Amino acid sequence: MAAESKHLGGEITAIRRADGESRTLAASLPRLVLEARRIAANVIHGLHGRRRAGAGETFWQYRRFVSGEPSQNVDWRRSARDDHLYVREQEWEAAHTVWLWPDRSPSMAFASRQSRDSKLERGLIVTFALAELLVAGGERVGIPGLMNPTASSGVIDKMAQAMLHDDADRLSLPPSFVPSALAEIVVLSDFWSPIGEIRSMLAGLSASGAHGTLLQIVDPAEETFPYSGRIEFVEPEIGSVITAGRAERWVSDYIARVALHRDEIRSETNKLDWLFSTHTTSRSAAELLLFLHSGMMVNKGSARIANVKVGRSA
Amino acid sequence: MIASLPLSFAEPVLLLGLLSLPLLWWLLRVMPPRPRRIEFPPTRLLFDIAPKEETPSRTPWWLTALRLLAAALVILAAAGPIWNPQTGLAGSSAPLVILLDDGWSAAASWDTRVKAADELIANADSDRRGVALVPLSEPARDITLMPAGTARVALRQLAPKPYSIERVETLPSVERFLKATGNCEIAWLSDGVDTGRGPEFLEGLSKTVGDRGLTIFDAGTPPPLALAAAENAAAKMTVKVLRTNGGVTAGIVRAVDPKGSPIGEARYTFAPQARETEAAFDLPVELRNDIARLEISGERSAGAVQLLDKRWRRRAVGIVSGSTNETAQPLLASTFYLTRALAPFADVRLGDRGAPQQAITQFLDQKLPMIVLADVGTLSPEIRERLAAWIEQGGVLVRFAGPRLAQADDDLVPVKLRRGGRILGGSLTWEKPQHLASFTADGPFVGLAVPKDITVNRQVLAEPDAVLATKSWASLEDGTPLVTGEHRGKGVVSLFHVSADMRWSDLPMSGSFVEMLRRIVDMSGYTSSPGAGVASEAKVETMAPLRTLDGFGAFGPPPSTAKPMPVDFRDRATPEHPPGFYGPADGPLAVNTLAAADRIAPLDTSALRAQHASYTNAEPRDLRGILLSSSLALFLIDAIVVAMLGGGIAALLRRRAAPAALVFMFVLSTMLAAPQPSRADDNDDFAIKAVSQTRLAYVVTGNSDVDSIVKAGMSGLTLFLAQRTALEAGDPVGVDPAHDELAFFPLIYWPVMPGAPKPPQDAINRIDAYMKQGGTVVFDTRDAIEAPPGDAGASQTPGMQALRNILSSLDVPELEPVPREHVLTKTFYLLRDFPGRFNTGQTWVETLPRDDDDDAASRPARGGDGVSPIIITSNDLAGAWALRPDGQPMLPLTPGEPRQREFAFRAGVNIVMYTLTGNYKADQVHAPALIERLGQ
Repeated sequence: MAAESKHLGGEITAIRRADGESRTLAASLPRLVLEARRIAANVIHGLHGRRRAGAGETFWQYRRFVSGEPSQNVDWRRSARDDHLYVREQEWEAAHTVWLWPDRSPSMAFASRQSRDSKLERGLIVTFALAELLVAGGERVGIPGLMNPTASSGVIDKMAQAMLHDDADRLSLPPSFVPSALAEIVVLSDFWSPIGEIRSMLAGLSASGAHGTLLQIVDPAEETFPYSGRIEFVEPEIGSVITAGRAERWVSDYIARVALHRDEIRSETNKLDWLFSTHTTSRSAAELLLFLHSGMMVNKGSARIANVKVGRSA
Repeated sequence: MIASLPLSFAEPVLLLGLLSLPLLWWLLRVMPPRPRRIEFPPTRLLFDIAPKEETPSRTPWWLTALRLLAAALVILAAAGPIWNPQTGLAGSSAPLVILLDDGWSAAASWDTRVKAADELIANADSDRRGVALVPLSEPARDITLMPAGTARVALRQLAPKPYSIERVETLPSVERFLKATGNCEIAWLSDGVDTGRGPEFLEGLSKTVGDRGLTIFDAGTPPPLALAAAENAAAKMTVKVLRTNGGVTAGIVRAVDPKGSPIGEARYTFAPQARETEAAFDLPVELRNDIARLEISGERSAGAVQLLDKRWRRRAVGIVSGSTNETAQPLLASTFYLTRALAPFADVRLGDRGAPQQAITQFLDQKLPMIVLADVGTLSPEIRERLAAWIEQGGVLVRFAGPRLAQADDDLVPVKLRRGGRILGGSLTWEKPQHLASFTADGPFVGLAVPKDITVNRQVLAEPDAVLATKSWASLEDGTPLVTGEHRGKGVVSLFHVSADMRWSDLPMSGSFVEMLRRIVDMSGYTSSPGAGVASEAKVETMAPLRTLDGFGAFGPPPSTAKPMPVDFRDRATPEHPPGFYGPADGPLAVNTLAAADRIAPLDTSALRAQHASYTNAEPRDLRGILLSSSLALFLIDAIVVAMLGGGIAALLRRRAAPAALVFMFVLSTMLAAPQPSRADDNDDFAIKAVSQTRLAYVVTGNSDVDSIVKAGMSGLTLFLAQRTALEAGDPVGVDPAHDELAFFPLIYWPVMPGAPKPPQDAINRIDAYMKQGGTVVFDTRDAIEAPPGDAGASQTPGMQALRNILSSLDVPELEPVPREHVLTKTFYLLRDFPGRFNTGQTWVETLPRDDDDDAASRPARGGDGVSPIIITSNDLAGAWALRPDGQPMLPLTPGEPRQREFAFRAGVNIVMYTLTGNYKADQVHAPALIERLGQ
């Protein structure tokens, strides 16, 4: 109970900090947006044309004025060219939904001494910044099971409020739900769950044909295993314990095991044409954000680059 | 008892427990330390890794060693260690005979000795043995077996004797006692000093003791020191410091006057292996004469004291003149020169009975050690014989030549004289006056500087013979002797071949004359022969003891055994004549424990078949407490270390210690270095920076807010100056008046903080010098807005009071508010007042000289002669000048009238221009008139 409340307290702090940091991150994003535009220059950004007339801002076609229409629809400049009256039609544009899932389970609260932030904090920062960026770009953003998709400009506040008032269990992976086929899903987690759970989650989410990105946020210590001596390792979520007599001897095996785990996840995502990448908290959050943004653009442009790796040390 | 350490154990068997330490070592090595507990999210992956071999990581060796040490301490403590265990002879039931050295040489460590005896008695008491206590100084004492209680009382009554004891003399009675008693155990509490008959005693002792058990206590106390052979030599008082061997290598001898006040101290240092050394008191003779007692500082024994009496003091010298006109012209008489020359170091007595013969008789009766005969010619045979005898006994006779001596003929001169004097440089001679050439190397004058300015016009000449050269003490340039001398018996006869007045030479007027006489006087009667000859002819008188020394070297009333001393007694002290002062209180004679020639030697007891033991001079101490508490402390340290290792600080310690320490040191050093960027360590840099450009300066107050505002203000003013005037100054400089050189700056802006402490005197002095040398200091109290209303209000703010505190020790000229026509209002801009952030404050400058002539009133500007060294304002000028980096003003203005900031800058420009150009603008008012005149 105490550990639970401690974790919750840590989460609140993390949310508050991430709130502020993500705003500055998003505020500095004009640069990132530019960067993203440069990377995916030919990709339509923001609202997406539906190739039919409707509510929108870009010109679609002129059509003859039909009597009975309000006369203010008449485009007088065009109509002056000949004897007919024309109405100017715009292309119908609709926003598309992005589901973000920041993992807020206790394991995400881990932060070794080498890292700047805990994984939780980094995940939240990126989630908030991405949400702000997407909303600014006209998309609708939601958190499965926590917040319905919204395009409101105060999305960070909404998300933060929703998280602060969330009293459900903190799950590692998103609850199963059925996103629309065009929805985009971004899962930010450490993905230390067994491969079976990850597999079933992916199967559920991709069933409707939605695409997404899995982003593994890890601490540098989880990459390098910088431990030595007699150490008792405790799993923070289920509390299982293993004692290493000489931890320094476990390093190579551990690194191999992590690589194996990632390969398994990657093979799943490749099958589904999802993106999978890893991010170390010792790297900058902006880097990750840029990757995510450009990755989603690329995804839409169907010029899929498999196994884009950003945020990992080369 | 362990070999040499004074350490023993109550339960030595428990020390076997130490054997278990290797086992403990093995156990400690094997036992794994507590694992560190780390939350690690990917732990589930770790389950998939096959467990590696699980040998525990070892405890660090030093931690094991720490624990072993703690365990060893516990075992040692359990064995009951005792430091300085009690001395004791055990294992026998025979009576115990304690031989106790109780001469002066035992006094210094008497307490230790008594304690050892006490412990011996206590041990004997617990074994129910009888005790015989034999002080070796008392051969007559009856030796009996006593119960322990009585022996203890007897022991308490013993005190060290102030003289050297002869242990041999006690041997017969010891032998008698041993024969009567039969089996005995003998303990000799020795002081380790052989005062003469040591080997004889040892031989006798071994014979006496036979095959009885003998234990000699002779280690554990510092060997005694002694003083002997004090001499009041020519330039200093010397005394020999004696030791047996080893022990003290250096120390201090103190000189004390008769009332006990200290006169001086002298250091002595023993060369290695040396048994004697010398301590010298380099004191004026008057002070040396006051010394009544020399003692080794810190050594409590009669042997470490030397008593000095009048024989060590300045000598009385009788002067007899043969001339008759002495009283007619007293300032030209030889007695006058002699008296003046001898007075500094000798007691001069003039023969006041008409004829020389009578005076000599009188002095001989007075037993003076030295008599000076100035130009005394013929002496009656009777007197001559007495004089000769007196000289044989040690008297010093000094004669001066003169017309009478030149004609006389007696043998009381060291050399044969040629009749008639020799005149140099006179009309009848062929030689020029002679100068003093040299002092002979073996004469008494050796080492004196040879004066070059002494001329000798006339002298008596010695018959040249083979021994003349050896008798000559000083000679003239032509080789003829000036002073001759000869030892006769114990005494000395000396002759100055010139007269004691100015007629024959100017020697009596020179400083060398004094020194030469001093050397001769020093030859007369001291230690070995002081007044000996004088006294010996008199019948043997006795002197009653006045004050005597006890064994510890302290004065006390004479003991009943002390007997009156013959006047010529000069041997070492004896039981009958203990050391001390004898005779009349105003001029007592001293008897010392050791005579001048006595030396002390160590007593070599190694040949004796005996056990040796040491004195213990400390209380036995139970070491259990110390051991247990230190072991507890070690366990505590161990616990802390384990906690640290478990807590992960170990990783920090192990891996990051070196870099972390380096980083820490680096940070520390930069932090230490940081507060003094403009400070003194490279004064040259500061000076070069300061003089390469004109710079405004401000005083760093230490308050970072104020300092940053002032710095920004000075930068703002510098910028304004560069924009509006020809002055393109460098960046302003913050100075600390206590450390930095101020002379480089034309203007120093000093923000005064309320409650600022008064600067150190050093800083005040620098400021004062700066102001005197033409610098200007602008004091700004920055608090015009806080001033209470009213005329005097401005001077009552806390800032003003702080300023007053600073100025109280400065030499500040008379001040006045800036008058309208002051040149400060006209140096660049025409200003009426000097606003800053506030505009209500008054600005004060040095009062201009008032000239009352008529045209003064009409002059538009007055400049005085120099620049006011001080400007005081409370308007916070720097606050108004302060600009942010983006060029916007830092602080709002009060009341914020339009252009107030512009005027504040203009005031700053005027002040800077004023300090740079002085009263030049005051002269400019005449420019039209001058130009007009030039045009004509």
